[in-house]
Amino acid sequence: MSEPAATDTPTLFDVKEMELNFGPQHPSTHGVLRLKLKVDGERIRECYPIIGYLHRGTEKLFELHPFFQNVPHTDRMDYIAAATSNLAYCGAVEKLLGFSTPPRAQYIRVMLCELQRISSHLLWLATHAIDIGAMTPFFYCFREREQILDLFEEYCGARLTLNCMRPGGQPYDLPIGWLDQCAEFAAKFDACVDEYEGLLTNNRIWKQRTVGIGVLPPEVAIDYGISGPMLRGSGVNWDLRKNRPYECYHELEFDVPLGTNCDTYDRYLVRVEEMRQSARILTQCVEKIPDGAIMCKKPRVIKSAKETEVYSSIEGPKGEIGFYIVGDGTAIPWRCHVRAPSFITLQALPELVKDTLLADLVAIIGTTDIVLGEVDR
Amino acid sequence: MPAAQSFLDRFMLLDLFGGLGITFRNLFKKKVTIQYPEARREPSDRFRGMFRLDEERCIKCTICFRDCPIDIIYIDWHSEKNEETGKKEKVLDRFDIDIQRCMFCGLCEEGCPTEPKSIWLTTKTYELASYDRWDNLYVDMDELENWKVRPAYTDEEIA
Amino acid sequence: MDGIREALGDSLFFSGFSPLIKIFIVMFVLVLPLVTAMIIIERKILGFIQFRTGPNRVGPWGLLQPAADVVKLLGKEDVIPREAIKWAYLLAPCLVVAPMFIIFAVIPFGPAADSDSAPPGATMNLFVTDINVAALFVIAMATLGVYGIIIAGWASNSKFSLMGGLRAAAQMVSYEVPQGLAVVGPLLLAGSMSLVDIVNAQREANLWFVFPQILGFFVYVVAGVAETNRNPFDLPEAESELVAGFHTEYTGMRFALFFLGEYGNMVVISAMAAILYMGGWMRPFPNVEALAFLDGAWLPGPLPMLVPLVWFFLKILVAMFIFIWFRGTFPRYRFDQLMELGWKWMLPLALFNIFITGLLKLIV
Repeated sequence: MSEPAATDTPTLFDVKEMELNFGPQHPSTHGVLRLKLKVDGERIRECYPIIGYLHRGTEKLFELHPFFQNVPHTDRMDYIAAATSNLAYCGAVEKLLGFSTPPRAQYIRVMLCELQRISSHLLWLATHAIDIGAMTPFFYCFREREQILDLFEEYCGARLTLNCMRPGGQPYDLPIGWLDQCAEFAAKFDACVDEYEGLLTNNRIWKQRTVGIGVLPPEVAIDYGISGPMLRGSGVNWDLRKNRPYECYHELEFDVPLGTNCDTYDRYLVRVEEMRQSARILTQCVEKIPDGAIMCKKPRVIKSAKETEVYSSIEGPKGEIGFYIVGDGTAIPWRCHVRAPSFITLQALPELVKDTLLADLVAIIGTTDIVLGEVDR
Repeated sequence: MPAAQSFLDRFMLLDLFGGLGITFRNLFKKKVTIQYPEARREPSDRFRGMFRLDEERCIKCTICFRDCPIDIIYIDWHSEKNEETGKKEKVLDRFDIDIQRCMFCGLCEEGCPTEPKSIWLTTKTYELASYDRWDNLYVDMDELENWKVRPAYTDEEIA
Repeated sequence: MDGIREALGDSLFFSGFSPLIKIFIVMFVLVLPLVTAMIIIERKILGFIQFRTGPNRVGPWGLLQPAADVVKLLGKEDVIPREAIKWAYLLAPCLVVAPMFIIFAVIPFGPAADSDSAPPGATMNLFVTDINVAALFVIAMATLGVYGIIIAGWASNSKFSLMGGLRAAAQMVSYEVPQGLAVVGPLLLAGSMSLVDIVNAQREANLWFVFPQILGFFVYVVAGVAETNRNPFDLPEAESELVAGFHTEYTGMRFALFFLGEYGNMVVISAMAAILYMGGWMRPFPNVEALAFLDGAWLPGPLPMLVPLVWFFLKILVAMFIFIWFRGTFPRYRFDQLMELGWKWMLPLALFNIFITGLLKLIV
């Protein structure tokens, strides 16, 4: 059982708390997160996350390769939302090198990112539901996610690790018929979301499991630096697509859903609504996408200016994903740091799960929507 | 009638029956599973799969080698005097790819300056699994040029 | 049969051999095939709900999947954790399965040969025994199964197992009560605890007890689902929380025994639901004369004897479908919510149901 807190030898019944290793091989830690828990029966008294099981030294890898070769590495950080990582990195490099993306490339990027947002949220919903014991939404979500991955494959030839953006523009133009497929998907996606919602939103068991669980007050969320749906679920209106528009988001209409109760259920509602809004953005993009170049004019020799540093961030599916790059006058970044939203959200986990039940822990891990590839990098 | 509504919500379990209805409807929907070894998904035209090399087209510029983010392409070449034309030409000694470590980013293909590309991944071949770790995955020049069908599964293995 | 009877002599035949044969038939011809069939049926239905095809590799349409599963599980290494309490660890799966089989001793699959409802030409009772406290016996035996689970959780000496075992204990205890009370309704209506008598009472009343006992039936179903640790009450083995709950450490055939126990208990709960509420082996709408052909008296030879069996199994399968349907639809309750539901809702509802039933009985 557990180590006794007191110094004197405990009898069997003095032991109040038990130490429980939750992970790294556990079905619902979404990867290789390890939580050291102190539990009193089923109630969690302390939670200590231990990370690093998926550390691959990505940030160091960035320092070894020229700017253009690093895009595939960004795929592998948040491996279920590769396009947004690509965009965040490319955006930072473009800022560093002073490139400006042509409008058509911007639209393509936004479409890819919104598709990616939907697919990431779908995966989140699927795993969150299966954590809380509902098995079927998993398959319903994956059916639609599969269609999105097909679209990705049509565009860039990969389904998961896309490598679909380059600093300065897009490597490929859209294939013929892609826009129609995309519009078709966006048009029928709403009905699919209705189906997931029919299984979950009003279900009393789902509500009992999520309402009032993992309450994250807005002040706390801001203190931790949490962003994305976690923050908006707490009612803070902060979406980089609106507040600091990048690419062509200022030309598109969409709403930013906000939660009121700061709990798991509200975050669920926020993310579901975000999926609908993303579909809306997709429809607009299909209508508005201009013709033209997809790659900006690039100098023959690509070099950063000496001793420059940039930080550029975008709104990823999990929150603000940002790249901080220092250039030293060569074609290779001198230092590259990633502001990974999952990593920052994870910091709030011990506070969220304190004095909840073990079953809630699973729900809360689910709602934070962390990807360990991004946490550990 | 909020009171009646809340009564209905609370005691008639409409939410639960609604969920049951959805799953029941799906019971009869068309199945989406692809029965893999018998039916295969056709990859898209841009699908990045197994490599193919055309030595004739290759100008030995080693851009692919330099563009590879994880350095898994190995190229050796030497100059040789062509007997017929009397010009000096580059001849490949070695063009190996360690496919085991490859992440199929496609940067080598993108960097290739020849037209059409001398190295390309759009072969729609994705079944690269093998039973042995060292089997089939360190690919040399001959294999890159000449592989026919990958993988070489026998019928027993599929069954 | 008659030859064996002559060879053994009447007394030995009736006291020893005949029950043995019956038990053998019930266990290996009726129950085990049904339980194994449930494995494939569940996976198929879950697959269909999720627009997959379910297992379809082994045999035609995957029908041999259970056989493949059993072979696989038999071939697995039997791991016993070093720190496990060995005797208890080995005992636990048996404790789960044995009571489940014992229950089938009193489950009537069909009518007695000498009763009015027996099909023409019936020569044997379609049940092993008919004891006068059968309903109580079933509940008592079903409760025994929880010991296996608790012991498994404790003996594995693993924290997740322990929690699964604890949850199982609390859950089973709190749902025994409403289930037992829900069963009281049909007992009151029938005026007997013998399951055969209960079905006969439904036949005489020309009414399935599910109609006067709709509330009791609801409580019974909810408690039954909780009893068998099925979704949405599958807390003891909640995969996402406790890895696999009480059977985390079990492998191979011992794991299979837990599986068998779970499915067997589902069959028991379904069979009890069929007997208590849905008229047991009777055809649907026993009061509609036009449907009399469903009794199958026109079938040749000894086949009419099996018709009650068919109805009974069909009812079990319908009940099982509901189990699976629930699993395909609902999320999982949390531990405290589960207890709350059991004590604050199911128990009062069951008591209320008894009250109503008593009133009915007084008035009618």
